[in-house]
This record gives sequence, C-alpha cells and structure tokens, in this order.
Amino acid sequence: MRESIPAPGMGATAREASRLRVQSPFARTMRRLLHNRSAQIGLAIISLLVLVAIFADAIAPYAYDQQIRQSGLRRRSPPCIHLLGCDSNKPQLIMGLDGNFRDLFSRVVYGSRLSLQIGFLTTGAAILIGTLLGAAAGYAGGWADNVIMRAMDVLLAFPSLLLAIAIVSVLGPGLINTLLAVAIVSIPIYARVVRSSVLSVKEMDYIAASRALGASPLRILFVRVLPNALTPVIVVGTLGIATAILDAAGLSFLGLGAQPPTPEWGLMLGEERNSVFNAPHLVFFPGIAIMVTVLGFNLLGDGLRDALDPRRKA
Amino acid sequence: MNTKNRFLPALSAAAVTALLLAACAPAAPAAPAAPAATEAPAPAPTEAPTPTEAPAPTEAPAATEAPAPTASAMMKVEAPNCDYGGKMKAIEAVDELTVKFTLCSPDPAFPYKIAGDSFAILDADYLNETGGDSNKISENPVGTGPYKLKEWKRGESITFEAFADYWGEKAKTPTAVLRWSKEAAQRLLELQSGNADGMSNVGPDDFETVEKDADLKLIEVPAANIFYIGFNNTIPPFDDDRVRLAFAYGIDRQRIVDDYYPRGSVVATSFVPTSFAVGASPNVPWHEYNPEKAKELLKEAGKENLEVTLTYRDVVRGYLPNPGVVAQEIQAQLKEIGVNVKIEVKESGAFLDSVTAGKEAFYLLGWGADYPDATNFLDYHFGPENKQYGKPYDDIVALLKEGASTADLAKRQAAYDKVNELLKKYVPMIPVAHGGSALAFRADVEGAHANPVSALVFAVMAPPRDTFVYVQNAEPISLNCADESDGETFTACAQIYETLLRFKLGTAEVEPALAESYESNADLTEWTFKLRPGVKFHNGATLDANDVVATMAAQWDAKNPNHKGRTGSFEYWTAYFGSFLNAQ
Repeated sequence: MRESIPAPGMGATAREASRLRVQSPFARTMRRLLHNRSAQIGLAIISLLVLVAIFADAIAPYAYDQQIRQSGLRRRSPPCIHLLGCDSNKPQLIMGLDGNFRDLFSRVVYGSRLSLQIGFLTTGAAILIGTLLGAAAGYAGGWADNVIMRAMDVLLAFPSLLLAIAIVSVLGPGLINTLLAVAIVSIPIYARVVRSSVLSVKEMDYIAASRALGASPLRILFVRVLPNALTPVIVVGTLGIATAILDAAGLSFLGLGAQPPTPEWGLMLGEERNSVFNAPHLVFFPGIAIMVTVLGFNLLGDGLRDALDPRRKA
Repeated sequence: MNTKNRFLPALSAAAVTALLLAACAPAAPAAPAAPAATEAPAPAPTEAPTPTEAPAPTEAPAATEAPAPTASAMMKVEAPNCDYGGKMKAIEAVDELTVKFTLCSPDPAFPYKIAGDSFAILDADYLNETGGDSNKISENPVGTGPYKLKEWKRGESITFEAFADYWGEKAKTPTAVLRWSKEAAQRLLELQSGNADGMSNVGPDDFETVEKDADLKLIEVPAANIFYIGFNNTIPPFDDDRVRLAFAYGIDRQRIVDDYYPRGSVVATSFVPTSFAVGASPNVPWHEYNPEKAKELLKEAGKENLEVTLTYRDVVRGYLPNPGVVAQEIQAQLKEIGVNVKIEVKESGAFLDSVTAGKEAFYLLGWGADYPDATNFLDYHFGPENKQYGKPYDDIVALLKEGASTADLAKRQAAYDKVNELLKKYVPMIPVAHGGSALAFRADVEGAHANPVSALVFAVMAPPRDTFVYVQNAEPISLNCADESDGETFTACAQIYETLLRFKLGTAEVEPALAESYESNADLTEWTFKLRPGVKFHNGATLDANDVVATMAAQWDAKNPNHKGRTGSFEYWTAYFGSFLNAQ
C-alpha cells in the first residue's frame, strides 16, 4: 500500500494530480465505508449511543438511583408519556418505573455509559495484550511461538462465557473483575489474528530489505511488520466490542458482574426477570438497549471488513 | 432452621394452651390393646446385638397370636449423666411397641420437636445396611410413608409411586412428581399451561394473576416467620452500639412492607410473631423511623460518611419474597442518613455458613417456625451458642432460660417482655417483617392445602388425573432428612418417611402418626410413645420400637456406626437437643 504515497521529489502540480488520481488508503477506506449500507446504519447507531453516553446527565430526567415516591405511583408502573395521552398529573416516565421506584429511562440512559466503557476498555486491553503476544509469537517463531500459541489454545478451548464465569468466581463478583475476565477471554482471538498476519507480512520483500539494511529485529517488528498487519485486527476488534458488551451483560445478568444499584443493562434484566409477564417493560427496554448496541457494532464491523478487503476494488 | 421455607399459622393462644395441656395427658385414646409384647419380656436368647426382624411374609400380625418369639433384644441408649452438653438422657425400647425418651430437663415442646421431618423413623436393619450414609439412602430410600421413590432423575425430577401396604389412608393419586424451578415466573407458567398441578412460593406480584385465573386457586400461608437485618457486634463499625441503634432509626420498616411484601404481611413489632401465645411484646414496640435521630447518633459516634457492605443470598423465602429489591431499598434508605452501602450477593450455602460462623457484619436473613413456640425463635437466635450476632448478651441468655423453664404463660411472657426490651436496647438485629406467602394449585386439585410449619402432603392431593405434579423452588439435597435442614428437601422426604407424631393438615398442631398415642410424666421429662402395630416399611419390614431407638441413636450418638448422614452435622438434633452423645 506504500506505493500510493507520492514520491517526495514531485512538483506541487504533480502532487495535486496524483492526489486526484490515487487516494490515500485511509481516504479510500473511508469512502468505501461511508458507501456501505450496513456501516452507515452501524455508525449512526454508535454515534447516537456515544452522544447519549456523553450527555447522559442532560438527557436523563432523574439520577439513576433516585426513587420517585408519589402517592398512587406503584413500583413497576408502566410507561407514562404525556404526549401519548397519559394523565399529566402523573410524572412523565418514558419507560416506566423499575422494581425499586426508579425511572427506568434514566437508568437505561446511564447504562449506555457503562456498556460503552465496558466494550472499549475490555476490547482495547485485549487487543493490546493479544497483539503483543501474537506479534511476538509470529515474528520470533520456534519455541516462543509454540509456548505462546499453545497457551492461547488452552484459553480458546473453553467457551468464552464459561471461562469468564470461572474467572469471576475466582476473583469475586464486581464490575472491575468482570472487565478483567472479559478481556482475558478475548485475548487469544487477537493473538491468533495478529500472528497469522505477521507470518504473512514478515515474508515480504521490504522486510528482507529492511533486514539487509541492518535494522534491529524490534524495529522491524514494530515499525515495518506490525503497522501492516493490523488491518484484520480493526475488523475483529469492532466485532469484539459487541461480544464484550454481550458477555459483560451476561455476567451481570447472572449476578456476577456489576452490583446494584449500578444501572448495567444486563443487571437490570436479571433483577426483573421474574416480572416478564406482569411488568414486561422492565425487561423489554434494557433488552432492546443491549440488542441495539450489539447490532450497531456488528453492522459497523461488517462494513469495515468490506471496506478494508483488499480484494474488493472501489 | 435458616434454610427452611416454612411458616406458622396464626395460632390462637387457646391452641397453644391446649397443646401444652396435651403434653401432660395422652393426646389420643391410648392404644386399645398393646399386643402381647408386654407379656413377653424379651428373653434375649443369646447375644443379639442388632434386632433381627422375623420376615414372616404375608402373615398379618394378628393381635391374638403371640408375636413369634421375637429374637430382638430391646435396645436402650443412655447417657451416663447429663453433663455432656445435651438434653437427652436416654432412649429406650420398653417393649416391642413402646419407646420411652428421658430428658435431662423439662421440655413442653417435645411433641412438636419429634414431629419434625428430621426425626423420621427408618428401619433398623436398613439403617445398618446403609450405615446411615445419605448418599446410599438417597439411592433407595425406605420409609413407611404413603409414597415410595420410583426414580430420582438428578437435576430434573423425583417420581413417587403409591405404596400398596401403607397403614393409613392410601395415596389418592398413584403417581406424584416433584419438580423444581428457581424462577417464580417459570413455575407459574408451568402451572398455567397445565404441566404442573401445584407450585410453591407464588411471586409477590403474581397473587392477583393467580386469583384472576379461573383455572387456578391461591392458598395463602399465614405469616409466622421473621425477616431481620442482622449485625455482628464484634465487627467494626457495628461494634459501636450507637451505629446499630442509628441503623434501627434509619430504616423505615413500614415502607419496606408496604412496597415490597405481598398481602398478608405485617411489620414486625418483635422478633416473635404476635400470633404466638408468648414471645411477642406489642407493648414494647420497635424503634420508630427517625432519620434525624439516626444522623445525630452517627455524628455522635463519629461515624459520618460510613461505608458498609450488606450481604444476602438471592433465595426467595416466605419471610423475604424479594431479596434483591429489598436490599436495594435498604441501600437507598441508608443513603438518606449518610451511609453508603455496598451490596454483595453470596451463594446460599456459603452465606449461611459464614453467618453461622459469625463472619458477616451486616446481613439479611430470616427464620420460619418449626413449631409454634417462642423458644424456636428466641432460644436459637439469642442463646449462648449462637455466634451470628457476635458476642452473646448474657442478660438475654439468662432471661431466655427463665422463659423456657416453666409452662406458666404469664411468667414466660414476663421474661420475654424483658428480652424484647433488651433486644431493642442492644439492637443485635432489626426485626422487619413477618412475610405472607402463598401456594397455587390448579382449581381442579382436590385436597389442595398449605401447611404452616410442615411439608405439603402429596397423598391427599386428588387431581382428576393419575399424576400429581408439584413444582417448588429448588432440588432436594438428599433423601435422608435426618441430616438436612432445608425445606425443599423436606418436601421430598415427607412423602417417603413418617415421624412418630405429625402436624395435622393445615395446622401447627400435632397428631399421632407412627405412634398411636403418647404420654409424659408430670414434669415433662419422660415421654412414652405407643407405636402403631402392623406398620410396614417399603422393604417389607415391620415397624417396632427398636427401629425408633436405632433411628434416634444414629443421630444422637456420635460413636454410633450409623452416625454419618451427609455432613454429619444433624442440625435439627443439635438445635433441639444440644450436643451429641460421645462427641469428640
């Protein structure tokens, strides 16, 4: 992909012309991405979520742990929206009240902060560690490769959620431990992806050239190999955020993740699972929130994969 | 015990008085003609250490015939003295159908205790074969009950089939199935779809759903339990009396009961339900909700901006039908007095062990009655052995002893009034509620009932189908209830085994079961039971007094080869009768 960079000796006009003719890889990818229907929807959803998370204080009418006590208002009251003809004497409750007299809408809004943090933090940590391990294994080869990758195979042999449950059981329930557990179980995925692309990149001619010029192995790995091996990680990582959010919600549902009164969507679902028939809104809205978030990251991930696919011409 | 799921009815004072009187006189017509056993004083031919049952197939034990020269020596287990820490002095098979229990101190509640499912009678030979091992017994349980085990599909269901040789009224339905599901919503769904005929613990918000459904009926269980918030007075910050008192002022119990408890629940004034003859003190009401005073107390103690951890187990009980939301409500209420509460859910077994060991500082727990007497509530919790509140309070211990030593209700109440005063002063716990709960059945199930303190009786259930299916919250732990204390386990055991006395359907009064009649001496230390003749075990053996002695000795005597069980703790024995014989 380096061929697209204009040669330094070109004149200004020539450079201009070259930019018109050949786009930078980043611009080309962005253009493809923005033309991809699923990526458009995914980006829209995620942007919305990010905005909601940032401005949660302004959007949510109540604090997430504030009880709304008013005579005649029962816990698990159904939604009451004034615009839709709900009695204006009652407080407006877009998603109804939860089992502890708290405004469900405010909790879902604050929950977006948590879910996005969980998604980005765990995936970020897993990519960082997984990339280093995978790169080391792929570039060094030999016994280092064997040791690292067999360890990764051991982690992969367990179903991810089961392993996460085991880790949380050892560390004890809690949000931080959940983050750790979800990050640990996703490391091997990135390690494998990075290793396989490092394996193919390190056979390239420019690596041989760099080595012939006397570059140190570390420099070759971090400056020449890794930047060119990261493309697949971006795709897998985007999809991985969705999985991480889902796993963390699952752990919280089981009571192993976030602890009350944290407005974590999975926890909210789990707490009210027995009300599914007499107060369906309490499981519907957190469930929808999880679904939409996961859908957003999955659509974006699909779009990214298409856009970054070198075999597909614009 | 803590793990149980049982409730007491609103027992009128009269009922208890009657029961206490009954303790002094035979409650049922004495055995008309105890078979000639008394005349044959058991010569004990040579050495017969274990009773050898004469199989005598098909021969009905005709009362006229002298029971074939029984080779069985009459067993007797006796403690050398009363200093070993237990309450039991001796258990003796007086003759083939008479058993005598001798106690070290008077016990007016003995008939209730012996009616508990933990004291079900096993065949002595069978007990020796299995060595009292709960695992082996669970494989092939042998009792005298109206049902015998057909199959236990672990993790799925237990199937019972009617026992043809049952001594009493035979089971109305040939097959009964016990299943379990943790979620109240799922149990209700099974009931609504017709897959089940009955369910335990209707969700607090589902009472109306069940009542509106013409195919279902709701049977409410009266509130005779207690939900409390416990403290440990040895763990900071709860070692400071003012902190515990501040919490007592800072928790609005009325709000908890109004908002989170189903119909039939009441705010607790005392630890003991008011429906009991003695123990509750309506004239000593609990601290009024007063958040200002709570804040002052915390300020005085220098404990502003306190951070504490509240632990509980996520198990639905009649006393606590909504553990999660109640914990969060308490969290929210305490935040108003400036206390930050972190909530921690613990696994049920681990949580109970930790509370019992005195390791939980601040926790939610409750108690359902085993029998309708204050001793079952107060003595267990505030006695000298209990470590769950930290260091026991000596003045309460002394008063409890006073309250339990007499049958005079006025004297007992006077002692318990003082206990309640002290509980209010020390605040080892905050009594919150007596919770109401309910069972639900298909409307066409005849004989549907709810028992206040004992397990449901499947044998009287008569749906117009040949199978009765009941769904409860959890799977039984074993089918040997001697070493169990869990209500869900008792539901299974109660169908297979029987006790000397049992609780009358729908009440907390005892009636004869395997014993036809019983009597005690004047000072309530000697209890004699006349066994029902001709009772068959599921393996064909016939019940005799040695079976009773062998069953009890296996629990009582730590050196008995059958003293094994599941964990060997035999909680009910130690809770009712103190230490084991030959312990250590």
